Amino acid sequence: MRKLVSLLLVLAMMLGVSAAFAAETTIVGTPRNETLIVETQIPTDTPGQFNSYMQGTSMGFGIHQLMSAMMWEMDTIKGEQFGEVAEGMPESNADFTEHIVKIRKGIKWSDGVDLTAKDVVFTMNMIRDTKGINASAYYNVVFKSIELVDDYTVKIVTNEPFPRLALRFGVTIWGNDLRIVPEHIYSKLDDVTTFKDSAPVVAGPYTVKAYDELGVWVLYERREDWQNSTVGVVTGKMPQAKYVLFKALGDDSTRQMLMISNQVDIMVEVTPEVLEVMKEQNPNIAAWYKDFPYATSDDPCSKGISFMMGKAPYNNKDFRWAISFALNFDETTMDIFDGVGRASALPILTATTAMQELYLKPLKEYMANLEIDLGDGTKAKAYDMDYAKRIGDKLRAEGRDIPTDEAALEDMFGIACYAYNPEAAEKLLVKAGLEKKDGKWFFEGQPFKINMSYLANTEHQAGRGLISAYNQLLKFGLDCNLVSESSATWDSNAALGNYEIGGYWPTGGITKDLYSVINGYDADLIVPIGERGSGQASRWNNERATEIIHELAKISPEDPKSYELGMEFVKVAIEDIPFIGFHSGVKFVPTNTTYWTNYPSAENAYNGPWWWWSCFKYITTEISPVSK
Amino acid sequence: MKFRKYFGLRLVTWALTILIGVTFIFFIPRMFPTDPVENMIGQIQNRSGQMDPTEMAALRRSLRLQFGLEGSLWEQYVNYLQKGLLRFDFGPSLMSFPTPAGEIIGTYLPYTLLLSLTSTLLAWVVGNIIGLLAGFRKDKRSSKVLEAIAICIYPIPYFLVALILQIVFAFILGWFPLQSTINSMGGLGAYLSSLLRASALPAASLLLVGTGWWIISMKSLSAATAEEDFVQYARFRGLSEGRIGTGYVMRNSILTQITALAMSLGGAFNGAIMTEIIFSYPGVGTLIQKAILQSDYNMILGCITISIVAIATATLIADLIYPFIDPRIRYS
Repeated sequence: MRKLVSLLLVLAMMLGVSAAFAAETTIVGTPRNETLIVETQIPTDTPGQFNSYMQGTSMGFGIHQLMSAMMWEMDTIKGEQFGEVAEGMPESNADFTEHIVKIRKGIKWSDGVDLTAKDVVFTMNMIRDTKGINASAYYNVVFKSIELVDDYTVKIVTNEPFPRLALRFGVTIWGNDLRIVPEHIYSKLDDVTTFKDSAPVVAGPYTVKAYDELGVWVLYERREDWQNSTVGVVTGKMPQAKYVLFKALGDDSTRQMLMISNQVDIMVEVTPEVLEVMKEQNPNIAAWYKDFPYATSDDPCSKGISFMMGKAPYNNKDFRWAISFALNFDETTMDIFDGVGRASALPILTATTAMQELYLKPLKEYMANLEIDLGDGTKAKAYDMDYAKRIGDKLRAEGRDIPTDEAALEDMFGIACYAYNPEAAEKLLVKAGLEKKDGKWFFEGQPFKINMSYLANTEHQAGRGLISAYNQLLKFGLDCNLVSESSATWDSNAALGNYEIGGYWPTGGITKDLYSVINGYDADLIVPIGERGSGQASRWNNERATEIIHELAKISPEDPKSYELGMEFVKVAIEDIPFIGFHSGVKFVPTNTTYWTNYPSAENAYNGPWWWWSCFKYITTEISPVSK
Repeated sequence: MKFRKYFGLRLVTWALTILIGVTFIFFIPRMFPTDPVENMIGQIQNRSGQMDPTEMAALRRSLRLQFGLEGSLWEQYVNYLQKGLLRFDFGPSLMSFPTPAGEIIGTYLPYTLLLSLTSTLLAWVVGNIIGLLAGFRKDKRSSKVLEAIAICIYPIPYFLVALILQIVFAFILGWFPLQSTINSMGGLGAYLSSLLRASALPAASLLLVGTGWWIISMKSLSAATAEEDFVQYARFRGLSEGRIGTGYVMRNSILTQITALAMSLGGAFNGAIMTEIIFSYPGVGTLIQKAILQSDYNMILGCITISIVAIATATLIADLIYPFIDPRIRYS
C-alpha cells in the first residue's frame, strides 16, 4: 500500500512538474516569456511559402509584419510616410517623370549581404518583366525605366507624370505590394512566381524559425544581427521578443478561451460583447482604452451606407439626403456598438484622429451652417453638432466613465453626425420624385422598395449599421428588403453594380493628400450597370469632383494646392452625399498583459493597434516582457 | 457468368453516378453569383484600400488569364473531365494560385481520413455491439440503460458535443489543447504525440454522437430480428444465447448497417466541418467551406470529386460483398 501511495505521489509530482513546464513553454516549445503570440486572421493553405511574389502567399501571417522590406513605411499616428529602405522621400523633376530615390545605408540581408540599390532596381524590374506577378501589367503602364545610378541611388523614369511615387509604392495603410527582395538570390531563379522561398533571406528584424506544415502557425526568431535589419537601422531599437509566434486561433469561442487562458497575447479583432466577457474572466485583457469605450476609432475605413448611383432614384442627391434625414444616428450608434465609436459623418473621408485635425475641425463651421433645400421653400440643417455632448451625457447616465471636456468628447464621439429630421426626409423624397399614397411610397407609379445588402461573414460594424438603417427606414415608412451576402457574392455584385444600398466601406486612407483615396471616384471610369469597371462601384457621377481628381493628379502631394483641392473635394462630396458615413473604423483589438506589456494604447499612442499591418515591426521594439 | 453481368452492371452504375455527380459539381459553382477574380480584387482592396483604376483594370485582365477562366464553359468542362476526373489533376487552386488544388487537398486529406475513418469505424463497432445487446436482450436493465444513454446522446448536434468536450477537458481541466496544434518541430515522437493529443477531443465528439446512432439503429434491427421465427426455432433447438446472438440475430441485422457504414466511410472524405472548425483541426471540411466562400472552383471540384468517387466506390464495394455476408443474396 505504501509503495502504491509513493508511486502515486511521484506520478503526481511528475505531472505537476510537466504541467508547470508546459505552462512556461509555448505549443512549439519556445519559452513563453520570450515568445510574443499574435493572432493571424486566417490560416494559410500554402504553408512554407514566404515569397511575396508567388501568388497565394499569406502576407498577413507575419511575413510583411516582420520580414518584408518596404521602400516607405507609415507613421500611423501622424499619417505621414517615412523612408524604410529609401533614405527619405523621392526627389522628382518639375514634371514628375524622373525620380531619384536614395537608398538607406547599413541595412543587411539576414545572410549578411548588404541591401543596396541593386536590390531595389532588380525587384522593380522583376515585377515589371514577370507577367505572372499581379502588379506586372500596372508597372508596365507606369514605368519607362528603373536604373541603377550608384550602389545607393536609383533613377526611376515614368511614362506619364507621377507625383505620388512614395504614396503608391510605399505603405499608406495595410502594406504595399513592392517588397524588396535579395537580388543575389532571386536573380538566380528560373521562375520567381513558383519559388516558395521556404527559408527566406530577409531585411526585416525576424526570420522564419519553423512553420506548421498544416498552415496553423509560423514561428519567427529575432535576427542575431537585428541592428542591421530595417527596423534596427531606422530606429536603433531592438525588437524585444526573441520569438514571435503567429497563429490562427480558430472559431470565436476557441479564440476567447485561448486569450482568457493566456495562450495568446494579441488578437486581431473581436466584438465588444466578446471583449467584455474576456475582461471579466481575465483582468489582464484590455483594448485601446482600458475601460469604456475600449475601441480605437482610428481605423481608416469608415462604415456606413453606400448607394448604387447608376440608377434612379439613388442617383438623385435629394433622395440620398432624404435617407440621411430618415436615420436617427443616436439609435444607429446604440445598435452598432452601444454608443462606442467616433461619428464620421463624411461621404468619402474617415474621421481618424489625423483626418479629424486636418479636415473635419477646419470644416466645423461649414458643417454647422450647411442647409439642405427641401424643395418647398424651406431648408433643414444637414448636421447635428451636439451629438458628442448628447451621447456623452446618455452614456454617463448609464454609469459609463465618460469625460466632460469638449475636446475629449469630440475625440471620442466625433465632431458631428448627420441630422435626424423625418419631416425633412419626407419633403426630400417628394422632391426626388417619390409619391406617398395611403402611407406607402411610390416611384414612377410603382410601389417603391429598397434592397439593402450587407456582408454576412465579415465586419460586424458594417453589418450592424446596415441592419439598424433597415429597421429605421422601415419605421420611417419606406419598404425595404434586407439581403445578407458572403463577401465573395458582394465583391461580384458590387463590381457589377448589382445592388441598391450596401453596408460596407468603400474608402480608406490616412494621408493628408487625398488623391489615392479619391481617384476611383473619377466619373470617366464609370461603366454601365452589369459591366465591371475599374473605378468606384457606386458610380457616383459628379463633374466638379472629377475635375478636382484630374487637377490633383498633376500636382505633388507636397504642393499646398493639394490640400486646398482636397478640402474642396470634401465639400463637394458633403453636399452631394454619395455615401452616408456612420462611424470611422471602430476596432476592439484585445491585448493580454500577462507576459508582455507596453502595447500601443490610448494612454501610450506611439502607434495604432494594427498588428495585421506591415508597421507592426516598429511596434515590436516597444512591447516589453513583464518579467525579465 | 451471373457475377460478371452483375459486376458489369454495377460498374456502369458506378461510373454513371460519378459522371452525373461531377457534372453537377462542375456547373453549380459556376452559377454562383460570385467571381474568383472579383473576390481576389475585393480582398486586395479590403486590405490596402482604394486601388488605382489603371492598376485594377490591368490586374483583372491578368487574373482572368492566369486562372484559366478565358475559355467557354464547355471547353472548361471537357478539360476538367480529361484532367480532373481521369488524372485527379484539378488545376491550380484559384485562391492559392499557382499551387495545385490536388497538392493542398493531399496535405489535409490524411488528417481528415485519420479522424473520420477512425471515429466512424470505432463508433460502428462499439455502437453495433451495444445495440445488439440492447436489442437482443431488451428486457434486461443494462440494455434499457444503454438504450437510454444512446437516446440522450444521439440527438445532440455533434458540434455541441465538441464544444462541451472542449470547454470541460481543454479549457477547464486543461488536459487537452484548446486547438488542434500539431508540432512538427521536435521529430517524429513530438509529432505523433501532438497529433494524438490534437485528435483526441475531435475524435471523441464524433465517436460519442456516431455511437449513439449505431446503437439506436442496431437495437431496433436486432430487436425485430430477435422476434423472428427462426430465432425462436434456434432457442427450441437448445442453442446457446451467445450463438443465437452472433450467428442468428447479428448476422441478419448487420446487412443494413454495412450499407450505412459504406456510405459513412465514403462520406468521411468530406470531413466534419464543424468539428474541424471548433478544434481548428486541419481537414478537408474547412477546405471545402473556404473554397465555396472564395469561389475557388478548382478546389471545390477537387474536394467534392474525391468525395463522390469515394462514396460511389464504397457503395459498390458494399454491394459486391453482400453475398459473402448474407448467403440469401445472390448476384443477379
